[in-house]
Amino acid sequence: MAKKKQVLYPVLFMLILTAAYTFVLAFINESTIAIIEAQEELRIQKSILYVFDIPFEDQQAAVNKLYNERFDIATSGDMTYYVYKTEGSVVGYAFPLYGNGLWGSISGYIALSPDFETLLGIDFIAHSETPGLGGRIDEEWYKEQFRTLDVSSDPPVVYRPVSGGNVDAITGATLTSKSVSTIINDFMTEIKIFAEEENLYDGSN
Amino acid sequence: MMEVIRVLKAGVYKDNPVFRQILGICSSLAVTNLLLNSLVMGVGLMFVTAFSSFTVSLLRTKTPKHIRMMVQTLIISAYVIILDLFLKAYMPSMSKALGPYVGLIITNCIIMGRAEAFAQKNKPFISFFDGLIMGFGYTWVLLLIAFFRELLGFGSLFGIRILGEGWVNWTLMIMPPGAFFMLGIVIWATYSLFPHEDQEKAGVKA
Repeated sequence: MAKKKQVLYPVLFMLILTAAYTFVLAFINESTIAIIEAQEELRIQKSILYVFDIPFEDQQAAVNKLYNERFDIATSGDMTYYVYKTEGSVVGYAFPLYGNGLWGSISGYIALSPDFETLLGIDFIAHSETPGLGGRIDEEWYKEQFRTLDVSSDPPVVYRPVSGGNVDAITGATLTSKSVSTIINDFMTEIKIFAEEENLYDGSN
Repeated sequence: MMEVIRVLKAGVYKDNPVFRQILGICSSLAVTNLLLNSLVMGVGLMFVTAFSSFTVSLLRTKTPKHIRMMVQTLIISAYVIILDLFLKAYMPSMSKALGPYVGLIITNCIIMGRAEAFAQKNKPFISFFDGLIMGFGYTWVLLLIAFFRELLGFGSLFGIRILGEGWVNWTLMIMPPGAFFMLGIVIWATYSLFPHEDQEKAGVKA
C-alpha cells in the first residue's frame, strides 16, 4: 500500500536540519574569521618585507613586529603604498602591482628606490599561470633577477638575448614572461607620473 | 568484521571510486600535478565523505524518502564549508594552491554516490568507515598519478628534488593533458591487474 506523501513533516525536517547546520557553520565561521584575516594580512606583510630584501623569521609575531617597525603606510587616491625609512631617510617605496597574465590577472608588490631608477625587488601574491611553466614566476631565481635592477632605461625590463636585455625569461613560458615585463614597464611609466605628482622623488616626502 | 573487510576491499580496489566507478575524475585530473596537493585534497575528501556518510546514515530512518537528495546535498555542503574554512585559517598556502577545487568537493560524485549507495541502507559507523575507505581509495589513486606527474614533470617528490640537474622536465606531464594520459594508463593497468566483478561471475556461470 503506497503511503500518502506527507507535506508538513518533510518541511519541518528540512527547516530544523538547515537551522542546525547554519548555526554550526556560523559558529565555525565566526571563530575562524579573525585567523583567516590575520593570515591574509601576514601574506602581504611577508611580501613587503621580501621586496625590500629584509630577512625575517617565518613567525607571525616576528613578521608583524618587523613590519610595524619599518614601514609607514601612505595613501593617495586609490593608491596605497609603503614607505621604508631607516634613520629618517627613505630607502625605498613599495607599490602594489597589478596586471594581466596569460590566464588571469597577476598581482603582487614591487619596491623601488627613491630616485625611481632602481628596482629593489618584486613579489607575486596571486596569479593563475600554468603550474610548472608560467607558474615559475614564483621561483626565487626569477624574482631575484629583479633585485637592484637598473630600470632607468626605456623600456625598463628587456629579456635577454635582445640587446640591452637585463633579465632572463622563463623557458616554455614566453607569454607569461612577456606579461610580467609588460606589467612592470607599464607600471614604471605610470609610477613616474605618480611620483612627480606626489613629490616622492629622492625621498622628499 | 566480515562487513569491514568487504568495505575495505571494495574501496581500495574492487569498487575503487576512481578506476572502477570512474567518479571524481575532474578533481583527480586537476590537482595531481603535485603530490602535496593530491594528499591534502585526498584527506579533505576522506573527511567529507566519512562525515557525510555518517550523518546521512544517522538520519536515514528520520529522513522522508522523497527529499533525501536535498538533505544529502545540505549535509555534504556543510562539511565542505567546514573544510574550506579550516584550510583557509590553518593552511593558507594549501588553500591557495587548491583554489576552487576545495569548494568543488561538493560536486564530487563519490560523496553523493556513497550516501545513496551505502549510507542510506547501513548503520552509521560502518557508513563512516565506508566513506573513509572510499576517500582512501580516491586518495591512493591520486597519489599514484601525482607521483609520476611530479617526478617526470618537476623532477621532484613532495617538492624535494629527486632527479639530478641533468633531468629535463617533461612539461607535458604537469599540463592537463598529462593527467589524462596518466589516468588512462592507471585505468588500463588496474583493469588487467585486479579481478573484474563481471569476469568472476561469468567464470562461475561457464
